[in-house]
Amino acid sequence: MNEAVVLDYRDVRKNFGSFVALNGVSIRVHKGEVVCLIGPSGSGKSTLLRCTNGLEKLDGGEISLDGVVLPRSETGMRDVRRRMGMVFQSFELFPHRTVIANVMMGPVTVLRLSRDEARQRAEVLLEKVGLSEKAESHPASLSGGQQQRVAIARALAMQPEVMLFDEPTSALDPETVGEVLNVMKRLADEGMTMVVVTHEMSFARRVANRVVLFERGAIVEEGPPAQIFDAPTVARTRDFLGHLGWHG
Amino acid sequence: MSFDWGIIWQHRAELADGVAMTVLLAVATMLIAISGGIVLALMRLSPLRPVSAASACFVEFFRNTPLILLVYWAFYVMPVAIGVEFSAFATGLAALSLNVSAYNAETFRAGIVSIRRGQSEAALALGMSRWQVMREVVLPQAVRRVLPVLASTWVSLFKDTSLVSVIGVSELAYVSLQIRSQTFRILEMLTAMAVIYWLLGYPQAKLVDWIHRRYGVSE
Amino acid sequence: MLGDLDFSPLLDSWRYLAGGLGITLGLSALTVVSSLLLGAAVGFARVYGPVWVSRVLTFYIDSMRAIPVLVVLVWMYFAFPLVAGVSLPSFWAAWAALTLHVAAYVAEILRAGIKSIRPGQVRAALALGMSGVQVVGKVVLPQAVIRMLPALGSIVSVAIKDSAIAATIAVPEYMERSQTLAGQSFRPVEVFTTAMVVYFVILFPATRAVDMLYRRVAHLGRS
Ligand SMILES: Nc1ncnc2c1ncn2[C@@H]1O[C@H](COP(=O)(O)OP(=O)(O)OP(=O)(O)O)[C@@H](O)[C@H]1O
Ligand SMILES: [Mg+2]
Repeated sequence: MNEAVVLDYRDVRKNFGSFVALNGVSIRVHKGEVVCLIGPSGSGKSTLLRCTNGLEKLDGGEISLDGVVLPRSETGMRDVRRRMGMVFQSFELFPHRTVIANVMMGPVTVLRLSRDEARQRAEVLLEKVGLSEKAESHPASLSGGQQQRVAIARALAMQPEVMLFDEPTSALDPETVGEVLNVMKRLADEGMTMVVVTHEMSFARRVANRVVLFERGAIVEEGPPAQIFDAPTVARTRDFLGHLGWHG
Repeated sequence: MSFDWGIIWQHRAELADGVAMTVLLAVATMLIAISGGIVLALMRLSPLRPVSAASACFVEFFRNTPLILLVYWAFYVMPVAIGVEFSAFATGLAALSLNVSAYNAETFRAGIVSIRRGQSEAALALGMSRWQVMREVVLPQAVRRVLPVLASTWVSLFKDTSLVSVIGVSELAYVSLQIRSQTFRILEMLTAMAVIYWLLGYPQAKLVDWIHRRYGVSE
Repeated sequence: MLGDLDFSPLLDSWRYLAGGLGITLGLSALTVVSSLLLGAAVGFARVYGPVWVSRVLTFYIDSMRAIPVLVVLVWMYFAFPLVAGVSLPSFWAAWAALTLHVAAYVAEILRAGIKSIRPGQVRAALALGMSGVQVVGKVVLPQAVIRMLPALGSIVSVAIKDSAIAATIAVPEYMERSQTLAGQSFRPVEVFTTAMVVYFVILFPATRAVDMLYRRVAHLGRS
């Protein structure tokens, strides 16, 4: 791939006490690329995302965004976070605000947009995720799938260069998983750079440019979906996919 | 023994003034103690050890001393410590505010830490500063959780204002006890005092129950 | 100013103050015991008694939430004898007033504890063929009591703090003796500051213990 490198992980290490959560991870994410992180529970996928936008501090190695190494300071990190959108497994919409106010929150408080501008931006995004008619509702009255779509709109409102998804569909009822994945697929088609932690193997296969299999804080195998799913070169990958009931 | 209940009607103006003073004390104290409580709670949660320790000491000290003693203490110690004479009202207000601020601090702290960490992380992820996260996301939610507790504290405070009668603040209890000593109508005045407090406090207690049912979180 | 503090009157009168402290602790202990008994009776009768009993008791409880302790104390000591024709010694008047007041809180705690047990628990127990008494004794109470423990524990500090208000009817407990000593020695700053510290030293461990109970019990309370 000839596109510019957006996110560059170089030998990233993270410990929790004596527990090694990330044991030297190196990945390059290019512009417009969709990278799916898969792997067993506790393998460090969430930790890698949280390190990416500074919710956890690194214990070794470095991460750079557009060629600039991420700062360690809290205030420095703030500027970086504006340029990354993050979507959480548990949505984390702000329950005391309406749907549209949730989407406007970032632009108003962080980007200092006027309320009118922020509202216009939010309306466009709600339209895009198919929730225009829920603009004035409170998050609690929405289904899980709808809430997660709002959370995606909220992250997009910052016009980020890269979107980080941490198991965005794991907390959803099976019937609403599809609507969220569709939104993500469309985002990918529009050329958004995305890092997605997921257990949805069919999504990874369909949408990812590259799939990275994690285990115990390290990369087991990485490659295009066709390689990982149909012709894994590492026995561990076969085992893992077999456990999930994936048979090519 | 004969009773003269007319005595209450005769002194209605003074009693009404007493009620007004009681309400004023309670309102003023609550206003001070809500701000005080928030400041102390934020200090308590500060990553700076000395700041958080100072707040903890303040809160624990005033939460763990009887209010009536605090009233006397404020009466005798404040003028000496600060070098200024305070009116009885200001002294009573100070004592009540110290006490209720300490309780409110605990209430707000509990409210703040009850907000899931994911909420602040989502706000941080948007690029907000710690202070913006507090102001936009954590505090507004904490306030809702805290409301029922604050309502209960209000009812206690309303009753506790009676304790500043011991330093001569002319609120309802003081006024009633004064009329009692002047007229020797002991049963009448003490009963009237109890009934007036009841009339004021009973609806408040019921309102608090309603607030708990409406806003109380059952998790 | 604070420069010339003199604590010697306190040292000279330490026996007098210690005696007051004894009365404070005795009054508080009696109040705790009697309030728990009365409060438990009221709480049970309110939850499981006939409707009219429940109404009357609710009225009593809410009235005690509305009227200041000071007012109940003063009424019990000065006015009650005029109605009843017998006067109570100040200590027992204080005990009766504090008990009336604190028992209402105990009853509330009990009710909240019982109400916090999910109805499914009762249905499940009834489905096993238990009698009403068995359901309450074997299923509801054991769960409720654990959840109520911290709140009941806080009754101890409430009783100690409220006992200081008994000074207003001249019960010679620690607060009252501090007032007396402050007046005699002209050293109110030293005397009342010491009193603050003494109460703090007694009350702080009590609240700490309750906080710890809350943390211990929190997870047991979930259902
Ligand atoms: N704050 C923390 N303190 C201590 N240990 C932690 C902390 N956060 C994560 N861990 C540990 O680090 C390991 C990796 O966690 P992580 O959440 O990154 O796993 P994951 O791959 O996202 O798993 P899952 O699929 O279950 O979400 C886990 O064993 C976890 O227990
Ligand atoms: Mg995870």
